[in-house]
Amino acid sequence: MSPMPTPTPDRLRRLLSMLNWLAQEGDASIDEMATRFDLTPSELVAELEMAACCGVPPYSPDQLLEIMVTDEGVVGRLGRSHARPRRMNSSEGFALAAACRALLAVPGSDPDGALSRALVKLDRALGDVKVTIDLDSPDYLGLLREALSTHRKVRIAYYSAAANEMSERTVVPHRIFTSEGHWYLDAWCEDVEDTRRFRLDRMATADLAATFDPSDPTALPGDGGAGDEVPVQAFVPGPDTRTVTIAADPATEWLFETIPAATRVSEDGDRRVWEVHVGGDAWLERLLLRLGPASAVVEPAEDASLAAKAATTILDRYRT
Amino acid sequence: MPSANPVERVTNLLLVLLDTPRPLSLRELTEQVPGYPEVGSEAARQCFSRDKAMLLSQGVPVETLDIDSDEQKGYRVDPEKYYLPDLGLEPDEQAALNLAVAAVHLGEPTGHHALAKLGVNTGRTSSGPAEAVVGLAPMGDVPALPELFDTIRNKATATFTYKNEKRSVDVAAIRFHGGYWYAIGWDRNRDAPRTFRVDRITSKVGAGANGSAEVPEDFDPVDAFAGEPWAFGDGERIEVDVAVDAAEATRVTTELGPDAVIEVAESGDIVVRMEVTDVEALISWVLGFLEHAEVLRPLEVRNAVISRLEAFATSGGAT
Repeated sequence: MSPMPTPTPDRLRRLLSMLNWLAQEGDASIDEMATRFDLTPSELVAELEMAACCGVPPYSPDQLLEIMVTDEGVVGRLGRSHARPRRMNSSEGFALAAACRALLAVPGSDPDGALSRALVKLDRALGDVKVTIDLDSPDYLGLLREALSTHRKVRIAYYSAAANEMSERTVVPHRIFTSEGHWYLDAWCEDVEDTRRFRLDRMATADLAATFDPSDPTALPGDGGAGDEVPVQAFVPGPDTRTVTIAADPATEWLFETIPAATRVSEDGDRRVWEVHVGGDAWLERLLLRLGPASAVVEPAEDASLAAKAATTILDRYRT
Repeated sequence: MPSANPVERVTNLLLVLLDTPRPLSLRELTEQVPGYPEVGSEAARQCFSRDKAMLLSQGVPVETLDIDSDEQKGYRVDPEKYYLPDLGLEPDEQAALNLAVAAVHLGEPTGHHALAKLGVNTGRTSSGPAEAVVGLAPMGDVPALPELFDTIRNKATATFTYKNEKRSVDVAAIRFHGGYWYAIGWDRNRDAPRTFRVDRITSKVGAGANGSAEVPEDFDPVDAFAGEPWAFGDGERIEVDVAVDAAEATRVTTELGPDAVIEVAESGDIVVRMEVTDVEALISWVLGFLEHAEVLRPLEVRNAVISRLEAFATSGGAT
């Protein structure tokens, strides 16, 4: 069935988890156990039959793992220790600690809920792991979550950083997520009749509006047919995106690293050359000003004077 | 019963290591565990070495101990270190852990593996999309994270390269803030608290002996944390007031917290007060708001912004 053999470390991890689970359960049906561990029934039986040959010297029947596979199912008499939780490696320990704390850091999560109680038990067993997660708490997070759960449209006043302008829009919320330190709303925008991604901290106001029909196509998340897969990347190149080439001081490398979809293309003397996807003039102006006067647009030529233009506009503010 | 199946060989090795009350030598192990090449051969030694590394990478605490024999090294796994005490998790707590691991993205399926090891019921959940989904910077992009986490767990001094400099740090805490992971600890060379962006660590993280870290008694990772770029410098600490237009006021208040706001106008314009140790970083941040933000005071910072802008305005964008 499976053309790709599972790598040994993954097979070992799965086998140890299977033994752990079987020791807790005592017995199980083949189908149930196969589904749980993502194996076909025949693959499962092969793994269990192999495990039944494992043990300690002299490998006499009483020294082997007691696993019996019959037509009815699997029976494991594995003893108490195999049923106990096992030590995690550092990645697993960290991933679990971070996941629990991240979800508890979401504004509005229940500080006395099941997850908090689970975390107390984990910390008691594993020691306090000293991991802290800070998540922003933008003003309209609660309102937008309410809109999602009660199927209400939302009227927002939104500052577009790409265009450097405020706009009023009515949107049908699809989902809320946080990524790279910011909260986002994916929604159907009735004004442009398309899906758009909005940053919550750029909403000047947000108000609940009319209810919407959740079975309406515009109420369904629809970008790229990804279904319920949640975008971890905050940046989606839009139809109006253009590619701009910038030569910059090597010391500004860190700034490019914060930009999704920036690629270093070459070195030009002591300067590095980058390609970035630009969604609007204002966004590019910000980037150029932050990079400093030693950096400049190489292509397209019409963008070369953007930084000077933006600097003049800002200077007006300082001089009045 | 020689076996060509590595999973079977490593499983037997683990069972033998757990079962033995005294450390076993390489010779004893490769004799007792089926599937190893000829005892005493270089191939057997290499094969055991790979198997041991695989067990260690999965979190099995294989101990290497001095023994009184020609081979000098012995190996065992202390069951009390391998098995954790029963966590006593209720069904709703197990469900909450599953939801947390599913809703928080930092490079699956590591979190699911963690739950499987804890014996948490990790059956495929059909719970649908979580109400809120959290994307943290994926661990795969920040390989130093689990390594630093281990130095905290083992109270070991961490060594790594940061800004082209070898650093030696007793890490006290790890923190996710504003989209980045930070390590906060006591810098042994500078003899002072320091905060490090984990993704800017450019080497593997080395770990000293367990217990080698000596974080001062009164060290508070919350106080010591310097997560904002403009508070990240070694410069003198100054207060800077910045006026921000209503258009960007929500974003700035969300980023700095409401305590930073010292004035709110009826128009929605605000003034924020910031503690700054890196003026360059502050200027970069302020310019990111284009004409929607203005440094008010102190004068030397305001003038620095103006000269930066004048340099742009006169350059005309020529390359």
